[in-house]
Order: sequence, then C-alpha cells, then structure tokens
Amino acid sequence: MNLQTKRVIIFVLGIAFLASLLLVQWQETERRNEEAGITTKLISVPASSSRCVECHDSSSPGITAHWRSSTHAEKGVGCVECHQASESDADSFSHYGEVIATVVTPRDCSKCHVTESAEFAASHHAQGGNILASLDNFLAETVEGNRTPFNPHSPTPGMDVTEVNGMASAFTGCQQCHGGKVALMDKDGGMINVDDLQPNEEGLPTNAAAVASILKDDNGKPKFHPGTWPNTGIGRINLDGSLGSCSACHSRHDFSPRRARQPENCGKCHLGPDHPQKEIYEESKHGVAYRDLHASMNLDAETWILGEDYAQAPTCATCHMSANSVDRSVTHNPGTRISWTNRPPVSKLMDTDADGKIISALDPAERQELLSNGMSHEERRQSMRNVCQHCHTPDYVSGFYKQYDDFVVLYNEKFAKPGESIINALRTNSLITPTQFDEEIEWTWFYLWHHEGRRARHGASMMAPDYAHWHGMYEVAERFYQELIPQAEELVEHAAEEGRTDQAAAVQAIIDEILARPEHAWKSGGTEPQGG
Amino acid sequence: MISIRHWFRERIPISGDVLRELTNEPVPNHLKRWWFCLGGTPAYLFVVQIVTGILLAFNYQATPTAAYESVRYITEEASYGWYFRGIHKWAATLMIAAVILHQMRVYFTAAYRKPRELNWMIGMCLLLGTLGLGFTGYCLVFEQLSYWGATVAANICDSVPWFGGFLKRMLLGGESYNEHTLSRMFILHAAVLPCVMILLLFVHISFIRLQGVTEFKFSDEPKDKPGFFSFFPDHLFTEVIIGLVLMLLLSFLASVVPAHLGPKADPFTTPETIKPEWFFYVMFRWLKLFSGTFAVLSIGFIIFAMFIWPWLDAGLRRITRNEEISTWIGIVAVIALIGLTVWEALAAH
Repeated sequence: MNLQTKRVIIFVLGIAFLASLLLVQWQETERRNEEAGITTKLISVPASSSRCVECHDSSSPGITAHWRSSTHAEKGVGCVECHQASESDADSFSHYGEVIATVVTPRDCSKCHVTESAEFAASHHAQGGNILASLDNFLAETVEGNRTPFNPHSPTPGMDVTEVNGMASAFTGCQQCHGGKVALMDKDGGMINVDDLQPNEEGLPTNAAAVASILKDDNGKPKFHPGTWPNTGIGRINLDGSLGSCSACHSRHDFSPRRARQPENCGKCHLGPDHPQKEIYEESKHGVAYRDLHASMNLDAETWILGEDYAQAPTCATCHMSANSVDRSVTHNPGTRISWTNRPPVSKLMDTDADGKIISALDPAERQELLSNGMSHEERRQSMRNVCQHCHTPDYVSGFYKQYDDFVVLYNEKFAKPGESIINALRTNSLITPTQFDEEIEWTWFYLWHHEGRRARHGASMMAPDYAHWHGMYEVAERFYQELIPQAEELVEHAAEEGRTDQAAAVQAIIDEILARPEHAWKSGGTEPQGG
Repeated sequence: MISIRHWFRERIPISGDVLRELTNEPVPNHLKRWWFCLGGTPAYLFVVQIVTGILLAFNYQATPTAAYESVRYITEEASYGWYFRGIHKWAATLMIAAVILHQMRVYFTAAYRKPRELNWMIGMCLLLGTLGLGFTGYCLVFEQLSYWGATVAANICDSVPWFGGFLKRMLLGGESYNEHTLSRMFILHAAVLPCVMILLLFVHISFIRLQGVTEFKFSDEPKDKPGFFSFFPDHLFTEVIIGLVLMLLLSFLASVVPAHLGPKADPFTTPETIKPEWFFYVMFRWLKLFSGTFAVLSIGFIIFAMFIWPWLDAGLRRITRNEEISTWIGIVAVIALIGLTVWEALAAH
C-alpha cells in the first residue's frame, strides 16, 4: 500500500470517527431529553392527521410537540382518532373537513382502552363529580360564592364588572379536581349539559330541542359554557353521559405513563388541609425512599411491574394501581386495594355491593348476601398486602394493619361517632338550623372530621406519624374538647334560657352520656397522674 | 520563527539529526503486514484506558457504600459517562485480546529466541499486568460479579501452599472482603499496575529499539526489494490507521453494546452461577477440572514455564532435534486455551 492510499484511508477513517462522535452526541442528547421528560420519539404522522399536525405545528406547537413525544404518536394514533365525533354529537363541528369534538371523553378512549375504561368507570374517581350535591359543594357554591350571579357593589378600576359570577369558586376550585358538568351555551344565555341532552347508550343526545338551542359561532362550532370548560376533573360529567377525564392523570396530548406513575401527578388534588395524601406520603419512609431513588426506578418501563422492573420505593400508583409480580395487571380503580374509606366523618370498611356501594347493613347474613356480588374489605386488603409483601414480611404487614385498624377505630369511637351524634341531636332538637354552616359549631364539626380527622386517618394509613398525631389526632382532640363540646353546651344553655328546656335537656343528656364514658373521664377529674 | 527554534534549542539541546535518528529507525518490510502490528495495538489501547480511566475516576468512589452508586451515576447521569465507561470496558476487552494475539504472534514466529529472551519475560509481565488490570477493574464496579469474583480469587490464593494466606490477605486487606478491599483494588487498578505497566512498556520498547525488530522474509517478496522502509511517515500512517479503526470500533461498541450494570454486590446472597470475565474462563475451567492445590500449583507451573520458555524451547530443540517442536506445543496450547474457554462459556455452572 503506498503512502497516498494510506493518506486517503486515514482521511476517510478520521471523518468516520468524527461521525461516530456525532452519533455519541446524539445519544447523549437523547438521554438528557429522556431524563428531562422531553424525548422526541420516532413517529410517523398518520395520514388522517397530517393536515391537523401541519397546521397546529404553527398555531399551537406545544400540542403537537407533546403528541409527538407520546406513545400514541409512536403507534400511529393521531388527532382524528381521538377527537373524531359523530355529526349527531352535541358538541361536534366540522373542522377543515373532519367532524370532531373538542372534549375527548372516557367513552372516546374506551374505543381502544376497553379494560382501563371499565375499571375507571367502576372507581370512586369516576364518581368524583358527585360532590355537586355535597356539603363541600354547598360551601363553594353558596357559602364562598352564590348560586346565581349578583351585582358588584363598587367599581373595579380598569375592569367593567357588570355581574359577579357566584359560581367562580366552585368552577375553579372544587370542579377542577372533582370534575364538573361540561355544558354548552344555550342561545338564551343559559347552559345545556348532560341533563338536558339526555344521551342514549351510545352517548348521542336524544333531546332534539336541546341540541337545536345550542349556541354556535359563525363557523358552526358550539360554544362551551366558560365556567365548565376547560375542566380536567377526575369525575367530570361529560355531554355524552360518560363520567371522568382520562387526562386528569394522563396529561393530555402526551399521555405520559411515566408521569402518571409519579406521586406529583396525584398531588394536583390529593393535598391540602383536608386530604394531604401527597404531603403525608412525602413524610413517610416510602416518600423519602422515592425522593432518593426515583432516578433508578425505571419509570419509563413498558410494564413497570413492582418486583421486576423496580423495587426501590413505592409511589401512589405502585400501591393503589400498578402491576406487581403477584397481581400482574394494572387497575384503573384505585379503590380496589383500599380497605377503609376515610372520606366520611366516620370511617367505614370498604365492603361493597354489586353496584360498588358501601354496605351499611349490620345484620351479618344480610351483609354476606350483599357481599356475594360485591367485594369485601378483606379482598381489597389482600390485594394491597400483595403489594406490601414485596418489601415487608407478612407479620410486618399484619402488624401495620393492626395499628391502622386500631387507630381508625379509636378515632371513630372516641371522636367521630360522638361528634356526629351531638350534631345530629342539636339539629333534631332544633338547637341549630337545618342550614349548614350558619352556626359556629357546624364549622367546628366540619374542621374536626373533614380536615383534622381525615389528616389523622390518612396519616395512619400511609405511615406518617406526624400527620397521624400532631396534624391529626391532637387537633381532633383539641377541637372536640375545646370547641365542639363547649359550643354544644353553650347552645344548650341558650335553649334553656329561651325556655326550650326539653330540647336542651335531651341534647345535654347526650353530651353528659358521652363525657361520662371512660375514655373521656380524664376531662372531668383526671383518672391518672399526668406526668411532669 | 528562527528565533523561536533557537530559543528552544538553547534550552533543549537535542539536535534534529539525533531526534530523527531516534524516531525514524528503518522498519523491516514484514511490518507492512497488518498482523505484525499487534504490538502497537495494546499500547494504543492502554493509552485509551489511561485517558478514559482518569475521566471515570473523577466520579468514582472506592468505598463499598458508594462504589456501586457512583458507577450507576457515571452510567446513567454523568455527561457522556455511559460513553467513557463503554469505551473503557471495551478497550479493556480488546487490549487483553490484542496482548494475547501479540504474544501468540511472537511465539509462533519464534521472535523470543536469543537475544530477545529478556524482552519475552517482560512481555509475560505485561500480560500478567494486563490480566491484573482486568481483574481489579471489574472488582471496582461492586456488582455481584465484582464481590464474588474477588472472594473466589482470594480463596484461590488461599489454596497456594505455604504463603497462600499471605497472598489472600494482601489481596483483600484482611481475612475476608472488608471495607478496605475496594480501596486496595482501586489503588492497584488506577496507580500501581498502570505505573508498573508504563515502566515495563518503556523497557519493552527500549529493548525493541536496542535489539531491532526481528526480521522475517516471505517467499512472495521480490528478492531485489529493499528490506526496510522508513518509520516516518510510512509505518506511522499504518499505526494511525490502526488507531482510527480501533477508535471507530470502540465508539461503535460503546454506543451499540454499552457497559451494563448488574445487581449490586450482596455479601449475603451467593449468585447461582459465579463466572469471571471471559479472559479468566480458561483458568476457571482448569480450577474446576482439578483439585484446589493441584490446580493452583499447575497454573503456577504453566506460568513459570511460559516465563522461561526461550530457554525451555532451546533445550527441547536440542534434545528432540526437532526445530518445529515449539510450534507443535504452541498449537496444542492454543487449542487447549480456546477449548477450555469455550467449554466454560457454554457450561451452565
């Protein structure tokens, strides 16, 4: 080989080596992007959506960028596949030749994700919109706001406020987590929702008059009621009658499983004074381990099976939803592994009937009959134990559940049931009005069970001792002894002064009976040395 | 320009002629054949190892509590960490393969014979040094193979009669694997062995320069062709080509087959199968074939025989009057080497 040939070979090899370094640089960039969660995957834009992508690349590039990084994009599921609608759909409109709808509902997702949709539909998440008739909603709609618009009482410099939307707190607060009723604007200025449309089994509206009165813009696009849309609440009540919003957990357009596996995702709603699950988790050893080890938890894995793909720490998804080496399937019903519901004032065991309703019957035979088509709390607990036992021994898990059960029962028996019976006695004896939150004691009771009581029980359920005690039972006890009982006694005293002696005596008897119980005896004289 | 050259020449009094003489020795024609350049290959890879090793050492922590996590950090988080670790791992593999091939070339061309016996022995030291670097290197990762590999190696040392216990303690820094073992391995891997290797390489290359490269004539070469060609630029270009091919190969392997990370070392869980790296398969299979002390002593004897092979070869040729005796022994040895390696690779346990 002559020198000239060698020179040429060196030149070619040198270029090839530099090219290999470019490959390395590309791999490093991809790795960094993946780490930052902005990976661009190899995708092909489906023909049906090519025009959508082309146009939205410039009009809303974030949407197409998110979609490009999704598994949908990898698998050829484009815009039309999800947004496609029937001309009969209430919210459908023609958009550059395609009939589409803005809101993608679980009914749309169920075209492909059949099992997931069915599991979700059976979950408490899907029922999140039921808050619309609850005490919480009364707070937001009435106490915090007003069910009808009202006039402003003084000018707002720089803004011409002609009307105050009394529902703003409910729309922006409660319904963005719980989900609200999505509504279209009526031509008469009102709203048209699922109640008006009366959708059939296919989700198509059956009330032609309601459909005819939907307000549309010049292009024929229906106008949404701005209070109800946008909304990604987990229990959103959609125009087609379906319940829920898959994008509540799987952020829209990229539908990232990685994100849904992380506790921060649940933290959009499961936080705050009344159900601080996210903060409780962070305080627990589970959360501490996650914070330390999340980088090695294989969050991008295709299957993400506990015990196979990772075992460093559990997230919310790990315990409540994800697959593990024993239960190999994911569930989209997070209640499947929960044995107590700590949502109501008094915790209840999750023995549910065929409709998923908690069985309140006391007769064992009747309970068993209803349970035969439902699911018992033992079954749910076993399902959770299967998760726990990936990292803990059976004895350890049994020990935890004994501590948890004892804690919930203590709360129920010492404070929740007595508190509830005092409030009920006050109401039945007309010492307080039927209207909620118009008396101080109703706020006290609400704080006791809805905030402090839940914090205590959730703290116990997720191994966060400070929430179980200082943010929990300590505050429950203080609220009970220092506020609820004195306020109840004051109401009794006032009633007696007003001459309603029988009612006053009836309530006082209940209070006395409660305080005479051994667990409250310390208050009236002390039963043991209190320590220094 | 002239003044700069003058400035340097005043301070570094080496004349251009001497420098040219030192660096541009005539190279025998047979070195135009690629397989005769295998000596430069491990040297080149050794330089790659030093550079990537320094980069890896920036983030490596040689303690049992931090080692595995630091390797994970290098592999998964540090900028280009996966690439440098991949290059380091594959260059180690190629370096060991190149050293073995180089030694086989020297053996089968009988280039170790008088007056090059001492350089053969230095080459043997370099072979053992390379294997030592390979062993200490995979111990540092602190995955299961690292821990149990070191433990098995210590047990093998322990079975050496008389001073086995001493060898074991020297290797582990105690009676068993302890918190000092990893830092000992790291010092051996990153300081002691590389320094020894550099020194030995210097002597090895010096011997080659002093004695000249063994000359070979091939029947297909024209008789009137000059027997030598110049080092610069002709041979240097060949080496540059080899270097570039190696870098391309390493870059490709590091990108496509990156260095993985096995389960973290767990002293309480003995893996179902313990296998060392491929270059120890032959010894591992040998140890399984024979009882402990005999296997260890026989390996020691074989290594000793390899050290003094130039003199054994001369004696055997004299006794058997067969000039090709070493070739036949070499063929048997290579078949045994490949056979035992493949056997161990295919064996489940």
